[in-house]
Amino acid sequence: MISVAPFIVFLVGALLACFARGRVRDAIVVATPIVGALNLWALDGSAPTIITLFGRELILVEVDRLSMLFGWLFHLAAFLALIYGLHRPNKLEQVTCLLYAASTMGAIFAGDLLTLFMFWEGLGLTSVFLVLARGTRRSEKAAIRYLLMQIASGMLLLCGIVVLIGQGRSLDMAPMELEGLAAWLILLSLGIKAGFPLLHNWITDTYPEATVTGTVIMSALTTKTAIYVLARLFPGTEILIYIGVSMTLFPIFYAVIEDDLRRVLSYSVINQLGFMVTGIGIGTNLAINGAVSHAFAHVVYKSLLFMSMGAVLHRTGRIGASELGGLYRTMPRTTVMCIIGASSISAFPLFSGFVSKAMVMSAALQSGHEWVWLALLFASAGVLHHAGIKIPFCAFFGHDSGLRPKEAPRPMLIAMAIASFSCIFIGIFPGVLYGMLPYEVTYQPYTFEHVVTQLQLLLFAALCFVVLRLTRLEPAERPGVNLDVEWFYRYMLPRIARALRATLSRARLASGAAAEQILGAGIGLVTRLHGPRGVLARDPLGSYALIVIIALFAVVLVFELALGSR
Amino acid sequence: MSDPAPPGEPRKRYVFDDPRNVRRVLWTFYAACALVFGAEFFMHRHVEHPWEGLFGFYALFGFGAYALLVILAEGLRLLVARRPDYYDD
Amino acid sequence: MNLLAHLPALQIVVPLVAAPICAVLFNPRIAQPFAVLVSLVTFAISVGLLNEVLAEGEIVYHMGGWEPPWGIAYVIDPLNALLLCLVSGMAAIVMPAVRLGIGAETTERSRRLFLSLALLALTGMLGIVITGDAFNLYVFLEISSLSSYALIATGNDRRAAPAAFNYLIQGTVGATFILIGIGLLYMMTGTLNMADLAVRIVDLRHTAPIQAALAFILVGAAVKAALFPAHAWMPNAYTYAPSMVSAFFGATATKVGAYIMIRFIFTVFGAEWVFGDMMIGWILVPLGIAAAFAGSLVAIWQTDLKRMLAYSSVAQVGYISAAIGLGNRDGLIAAIVHVFNHGLMKGALFMVMACVILRLGRADITSFRGLGRRMPVTMGCFVVAGLSMIGVPLTVGFVSKWYLVLGAIEAGVWPVAVLVIMSSLLSVIYIGRVIEVAYFAPAPDDARIQEAPALLLVPTLLLTVLCITFGIATDTTVGVAAYAVQFLLGGLP
Repeated sequence: MISVAPFIVFLVGALLACFARGRVRDAIVVATPIVGALNLWALDGSAPTIITLFGRELILVEVDRLSMLFGWLFHLAAFLALIYGLHRPNKLEQVTCLLYAASTMGAIFAGDLLTLFMFWEGLGLTSVFLVLARGTRRSEKAAIRYLLMQIASGMLLLCGIVVLIGQGRSLDMAPMELEGLAAWLILLSLGIKAGFPLLHNWITDTYPEATVTGTVIMSALTTKTAIYVLARLFPGTEILIYIGVSMTLFPIFYAVIEDDLRRVLSYSVINQLGFMVTGIGIGTNLAINGAVSHAFAHVVYKSLLFMSMGAVLHRTGRIGASELGGLYRTMPRTTVMCIIGASSISAFPLFSGFVSKAMVMSAALQSGHEWVWLALLFASAGVLHHAGIKIPFCAFFGHDSGLRPKEAPRPMLIAMAIASFSCIFIGIFPGVLYGMLPYEVTYQPYTFEHVVTQLQLLLFAALCFVVLRLTRLEPAERPGVNLDVEWFYRYMLPRIARALRATLSRARLASGAAAEQILGAGIGLVTRLHGPRGVLARDPLGSYALIVIIALFAVVLVFELALGSR
Repeated sequence: MSDPAPPGEPRKRYVFDDPRNVRRVLWTFYAACALVFGAEFFMHRHVEHPWEGLFGFYALFGFGAYALLVILAEGLRLLVARRPDYYDD
Repeated sequence: MNLLAHLPALQIVVPLVAAPICAVLFNPRIAQPFAVLVSLVTFAISVGLLNEVLAEGEIVYHMGGWEPPWGIAYVIDPLNALLLCLVSGMAAIVMPAVRLGIGAETTERSRRLFLSLALLALTGMLGIVITGDAFNLYVFLEISSLSSYALIATGNDRRAAPAAFNYLIQGTVGATFILIGIGLLYMMTGTLNMADLAVRIVDLRHTAPIQAALAFILVGAAVKAALFPAHAWMPNAYTYAPSMVSAFFGATATKVGAYIMIRFIFTVFGAEWVFGDMMIGWILVPLGIAAAFAGSLVAIWQTDLKRMLAYSSVAQVGYISAAIGLGNRDGLIAAIVHVFNHGLMKGALFMVMACVILRLGRADITSFRGLGRRMPVTMGCFVVAGLSMIGVPLTVGFVSKWYLVLGAIEAGVWPVAVLVIMSSLLSVIYIGRVIEVAYFAPAPDDARIQEAPALLLVPTLLLTVLCITFGIATDTTVGVAAYAVQFLLGGLP
């Protein structure tokens, strides 16, 4: 069967969309992932595609069960987001989505690290336009911060690759030991994209600032691409277990106190990534299966949740929990589908989260990480709080905000309906998903006791919510900024710079002070040497240049003769 | 709950505007809680870990974890919450 | 007579003979196409030579049938074949546009002389590159230098003459250094043929004259290559020269200096001695890194963009020097590839300046305001060539920096790799600031600026496309460079 590299379909789609307009462009945009899926179907089981670039052999496409699974997943995610985006077709957004999807397709089918790197950079460079497309001052600044983080990730990956080449090691996408500079550089690079603690910040900083559609597709692709690469390169790396557990834990607290519901979901993204990273860290067949299937389920229900919140933002122009409420009255369909997404992420039986998350937990227990298991259980209760209850309750129920927006536009409803259907379908027929996993699945999610214990956990946690609510102990939602890692570069760095400048001018005033001389000399040196009237930029006098040449010669000569007479 | 309906239109009442409906939902919920807790007595447990075997472990853990989460988050709020225009950009 | 067998001689003879013909041709309207034809023929010969070298290995040609050590030999290996292509290729690209590129800047009267000088400069550079005889190299060096002083002085700006004079003084000092070095070599070995020199030097390496000769030649070549801190002649010369001269020399002149350095170090003196005992790496690498930073930093503050490009060249020569100084295989590949690649991208950028100067009469940063919409193709070329200067993947700039970083790692000097990447960030600033002005600053209202004429635009586009082509199809350049390295390093790894 004829097939091409999956990213080419999206590139062509983007190119066509560039030159089309109106309905034709919309048709192209929606058709692209469908054509892509057909191509993917034809691609299954084909031999690697190898090209030669930079004098190196690059494995452009390598197909196995893992990359196929993510291939299907990302086609589905792109399809959902592109349909969803039809509510207000925007050329920049649509083309960017296609290019962004192309980067992802390239990355997951890359057979070596260098190919991965090229698409890895593509992910950041394309998706940044989805943030810029929002068109506000805030989003512009967030986009710049986002781009810097993404490029930093790419640079770290490149440095790691260079070290590998320098050591003459292979660039295959094969598991590597976490030893030596190269492995750590690559892990750090993946860590940025996968939202490791302290590197997670771009997720919560950027996603709430992107366009309604942009957030949906960004939340689905970038971080999960990182999870995919982690699963390829670092399965069974112990440190990932602890990184993953901390990722499941710290965001749930932030999610409780955060007011912006899309930011709540962004923290939730990190929490869910934590489950996957933990699974990869445990590294048993069950754990990897769990991590991968959780990634699959997560993409669908998190898209669904972001889509429902996007619909709310689109219709009301607001997204703060404290300014929303009671929207079920006029947006009943969105409400129902948001609840389906919330049930899936909370892992209620018959919903997709139930069949995937439990594999990771079970693997933690089987491999003897009981404290990890306990922490994940705690995090599960946390998920119920922010994603299962807070999101639907604050937006659609709770106090009546008096807002009576219209129901979400039809394209949004269609996309959400497909996602809802997928959530329930996976939840009821887990065998379909299990059949695609990289290892054979013996895990059986629907046992009487698993269903009962899971329901006990969730319902009693919800009971706690009801009790707190009825006794009015549940803390109220309040708008505001919650300090996170970005404090260092959004608050501290500018202030340090300002303080330095102030010190400098003070020092200049207090003439004769030693501080002035040192600071002034240090900072002034560059300008004096290189500035427009600097020494190095001045029109050189012939004599000056000659002296320099002769001095250079003298140095070289003395150097040579000294070495020669050894 | 006040419903600021546009003038001239009859004030529309929605399903949860009636407190009886809210009460119905809550009682259904309590019943479900009691049901799954009661299932503990009929369940033949294959525990993968001793803690799991403790009576009512999942139910109590769920309840406790949720309460702890809210309390700790309130503590975090004291530490990190700032006014909305905190970052001056 | 088999013409093909005499390609090496024709390479020099064709432009050399054409130069005076151009000068005495009565009508500049005939002289122009004639010069274009000559440069095209010269380029064709270069390509032919490169093909032959790649197919059959080193070509040794004895001028006039005289065997060395009495006669002059032309020795063509992949390194100089590649450089011949670069030099004559640039000439062929630039020459058709000379009518426009100097039209606004020089008087009608000097046009024929200008073409003749350009052909002489071309002859000189080709000669330097092709010859296998040390003294012959010096002669060609003088031919190219003298004609380039005159060419630079033809600039309309009244500061062109002092700039050319400055260049003359410094260039002569540099050439003299090289001459003294060659003299010392001749004194000690009794031969001028590079191959013979290489053999005889081996036993004389401990002597002070040979060591001094190395110092003389290195510094002389450094002046010609405008290696920091001996770069002082370049910024003014390139700023005030006519646009076409800047484009041609910007792409080739410093590269020929770098070639002299590579040729003497690797072919004549022997790499293992120069880098092992003499530790030249300790001079070339620090100087190169210093050049990369000094040049880029100065470039950031420049308002005249031709001057900015000149300082950027200082930085780029720094990379070449550092790459040579690494003294290993990847470093040398980086140096050779960067000589070629930088020629392409700097040529493209100077051609962009020529387009802008033709339309606006100047090339300072304020005149670039809003130019992205007024001259879309020209500025598009600037963006692509600029990205290449920064070293973005899929452009030629990336390829050479990639090998440079590899070479630094192979040599175990991590800091160099880091510094190279850091200094690349500086080029983001000076290129980025032009792009910002061109695309984001509002255009002045009154200006009615059109796109440059096709005669200038086509060569600019061609060079820009090559920047991408050789950035993707790296087999050609890297392949030739790797082949050249085999010759230069002999059996060494």
